[in-house]
Amino acid sequence: MNCSEIARLAPLYITGELEAQRAAEFDQHLRTCSSCIEEVQRQARLDARLRDVILAQKTDVAEVDRRVRDLIAAQVKGHRLPRLWPAWRRGATLAMGFAAALVLIVAGYGSFSRRPPRVYSDAATDHRLEVIERQPRPWLNDPEEIASLAAQQGIAPSALHAILTEGYHLVRAKLCYLDRRTFLHLVVSDGTRETSIYLRPHDGKPLSGPVREIANGKPLCTSDLDQVHVASVETAELVAIVVTEQSADAARDLARFAAAVL
Amino acid sequence: MSVNGPAFLLPRMTTTVRARQDEFERVAMPHSPSLLRVARQLARDAPAAEDLVQDTLLRAWRSFDQFQTGTNAKAWLFRIMFNRFRAVRRKVRGRAVTVSLDQAGAEPNGPGEPGLALNEMAAITQALAALSPEHRTVLLLGVVEGFSCRELAEILSIPIGTVMSRLSRARRALRERLAPTSGRERSAAVCSEREVRELQ
Repeated sequence: MNCSEIARLAPLYITGELEAQRAAEFDQHLRTCSSCIEEVQRQARLDARLRDVILAQKTDVAEVDRRVRDLIAAQVKGHRLPRLWPAWRRGATLAMGFAAALVLIVAGYGSFSRRPPRVYSDAATDHRLEVIERQPRPWLNDPEEIASLAAQQGIAPSALHAILTEGYHLVRAKLCYLDRRTFLHLVVSDGTRETSIYLRPHDGKPLSGPVREIANGKPLCTSDLDQVHVASVETAELVAIVVTEQSADAARDLARFAAAVL
Repeated sequence: MSVNGPAFLLPRMTTTVRARQDEFERVAMPHSPSLLRVARQLARDAPAAEDLVQDTLLRAWRSFDQFQTGTNAKAWLFRIMFNRFRAVRRKVRGRAVTVSLDQAGAEPNGPGEPGLALNEMAAITQALAALSPEHRTVLLLGVVEGFSCRELAEILSIPIGTVMSRLSRARRALRERLAPTSGRERSAAVCSEREVRELQ
């Protein structure tokens, strides 16, 4: 066995995968070649350093384990989970968007990039135009008319009151279209800030979004879009999407409450 | 497996599902620290690493029926994770991979980590982050997680000869980056053009 064979077979020697006869030849060469034995020892020392450093790093899996167990439990109970759309895919989306932008700049030519689920971006745009910018729209303000409109859409009027967490009241409502589907757009207020809640009956198709937690046995998804925070929750009967510019926590808290009461 | 079915079958099916959950807990979940440890060295940031592990474990759960009891569960899980990682990377192929020291997970367990100076940890973490994902992967799996070359070949779906040469090159690259004469002090590690080409 010569030095180049030693270099080639060193990975198998280190992991103990070299067959007995070859290992013996390897050992024999090391006994007679100081540069090869030095090289193998250097590799072993480097391996040990690398192992020590990586294994010394803190690896807290509690949060991941909890999410996985919750999602498995929800699936076992028969909940349809939204398609996974995790952060690394959002990263890929950003990278693709950046690449597409480069193509646009350099070649002046259009391209496509992956975006968040359209129902979220539609809800964020709708909230921005109709609630933040207050563009004129034909709203219903009378609670009875709103309840009647909800019933026409297949939404139990009781749900309208149930989703109002303490301190919130229903301000106005109208129908709107998000991702080519009709939603009942409710504007609720805590006295200082208005929040949108979009409701529609569930059609059996799960929304596509990043599942962040299982709230009361229901998958809760969140997304942050251009300073507007979106959280959605799906029950067997309803899809509810909360949109607020307040904070991601505020959107999630309202979605959690909806998960608990709907 | 669904729990829906004729009423007389429900108790048995529920038991089966519960047994499957218990088996998954016993066989797969103990490997989540290893998965996360490696994912943190490969993904953009900590949340992305957690999502990669979450995705891996949920996919493993969905295909748990295909797992053969008694075979290497850790290798099976890593194969799933690397398939996902590769699928994502294919979509963003060609971009330089930038990894900051913070992202590379250089957080030690606590003060006074025996035998490991902080600058030693930082140097190795930085040098590892500067390697191409291929080199980082074989070092993490082969050296840190203790997979054999044959297992690595199976996990990464590459010939064993490629594993061996990649391991040798990865060790050499890491050593060069750690060599005091190399003068490669970098706060952020960016794959060289050659390494990016190597990815493609």
